[in-house]
Amino acid sequence: MRQFLARIAAGAPVPVFAIAGAGAREQVQDLRLNPGVRLVDSPREANVLLVAGAMPESLAEPLQRIHDAMSHPRCTVVAASPEGRDLHAWLPDATAVALHEPIAGGLVDVHRGILRGDRPSEPALLPDVEPAPWRGVGPFGQGGTGMTGGTPYGRPMADLLDDRDGLRLDILPLTVGPFFPRFPSGLILQATLAGDVVVESAIEANPFTDLDFEMVTPSPTLGPFLRALSAPVPIAELELARARSHLRWLADALVSQGLHALGVRVLALAARVRPGDGEEVRKLERLLRGTQVFRWSLGGVGPIAAERLIAIAAGPVARASGIAEDARADDPAYRELGFTPVTQRAGDAAARWRQRLAEAEQALDLAGRAGPRQTEVRGQVEGPRGLLLAEGAPTGRLYELVPELLAGLEWGDAIATIVSLDLDLEEAALAAQLTAGVPVA
Amino acid sequence: MSLLGPLGVTLVVFVGALVVVLILWWLGDRSPRTLTAPERAPFAGGLPPAVHAWSRYHARYYVMALVFLAFDMEMVYMYPWAVVFVREGVVAMVEMAMFITILLIGVLYTWRERALEWA
Repeated sequence: MRQFLARIAAGAPVPVFAIAGAGAREQVQDLRLNPGVRLVDSPREANVLLVAGAMPESLAEPLQRIHDAMSHPRCTVVAASPEGRDLHAWLPDATAVALHEPIAGGLVDVHRGILRGDRPSEPALLPDVEPAPWRGVGPFGQGGTGMTGGTPYGRPMADLLDDRDGLRLDILPLTVGPFFPRFPSGLILQATLAGDVVVESAIEANPFTDLDFEMVTPSPTLGPFLRALSAPVPIAELELARARSHLRWLADALVSQGLHALGVRVLALAARVRPGDGEEVRKLERLLRGTQVFRWSLGGVGPIAAERLIAIAAGPVARASGIAEDARADDPAYRELGFTPVTQRAGDAAARWRQRLAEAEQALDLAGRAGPRQTEVRGQVEGPRGLLLAEGAPTGRLYELVPELLAGLEWGDAIATIVSLDLDLEEAALAAQLTAGVPVA
Repeated sequence: MSLLGPLGVTLVVFVGALVVVLILWWLGDRSPRTLTAPERAPFAGGLPPAVHAWSRYHARYYVMALVFLAFDMEMVYMYPWAVVFVREGVVAMVEMAMFITILLIGVLYTWRERALEWA
């Protein structure tokens, strides 16, 4: 009977909590296209933890914490290139699969094995130690001041702050990340919440800067832009990569708005588009307008004034606030194609969504007309997130802007704002390690 | 079934439910397992929480109360008013206008508090 039930359970889609490290963002994202896998938002909901790509050492403990947060039966799958052996030291019971082959098959096999009882559920990795004992004033740890009498496990009760309704209520300091599913991998946000309103926030330093990128293969949507820094690259290839990058971002952004099925459709489109397919993106834009997501969820959320974005060269984010700045406009090959930057005026999250859609459409049209034209090598290139140059990526420059953007927003709007910026910590760390003029492998 | 009477049916349902629960318990994972401290900690992206999650925050229920008063209690008064409206005439009209004006202030306040927005 138990075997029979286990067999039925093993046929269900595998609940996976997936963590994308450096060089594995696309592979993890593509799991959404597989009906046999269900990407979940919390490790409590997952049976399988997937860690893909390269990870800096500072993220080892958060990885182990997430492993321990999964409920039984649980197992871990590591998808990394051979240099990812660190991951096995941190997650000793993990099953290894190859990163550059479809990962989903491995996930299904491991899940089936664990449900049928062929392999045991993995034990906890971190020691069973409370951060501090729960001590009150009494001889048995009871009593004292505060709601619980004492300090529960060394975690003090929340502090007080004046509320805008004239009440004095608790504020909750909250650390979100580095693997919060809605945020880019590695982003650690220290937010202080009063109810669901962000009072103040800070972002911690990019953990991927500790990683040695010489051993990491850059993702297929970033590769052409890195090559364009030091060698001429066909415009058709570059623009197709830009369109794909914007569509992949859109797929994640739609999932963050709860539009999962539409996100999967956009992801399939990102894999399918060819140069000249601008019409497909126009159709998508009409579909999105029909969902009212621009008006109801994103309109007026997280506006950035144009003056805050001057000299940041933040690509679509800056152009959504009306700054017509684009490194492509200075390239003679693009000028031959009649390129002029598209801009929006509102500068809010909805404008950033529209801007990326318009740029994806423009990129596909350019790719269709570019023919054999190639870019000019100038040590800088307009990447999908803004001006990319050796020693600097747009994410690094947008980073400082985030805390002031989030102040006063409700938590849902704060997430929508961060998502609309399309931060990529891996790209920022990678660009910081490039030396100007040295070709990228 | 009719032989057993209403009490008997209840008994059968109770015993049946008990059997199902016992079967599920027998099928389930019965190994004694206590959770470690990191296993019990709430998930917020991989880092341990700094303060206890037991926090009093302002859910702004008064906004919901305002919406309820403005759009539901209004009706409670309007139905009996509609019954006597023709008989009472202008007096009833003026009374209702005063009532609606007061409610309208509540609706405007609710609007300012963003309670009428979709998300």
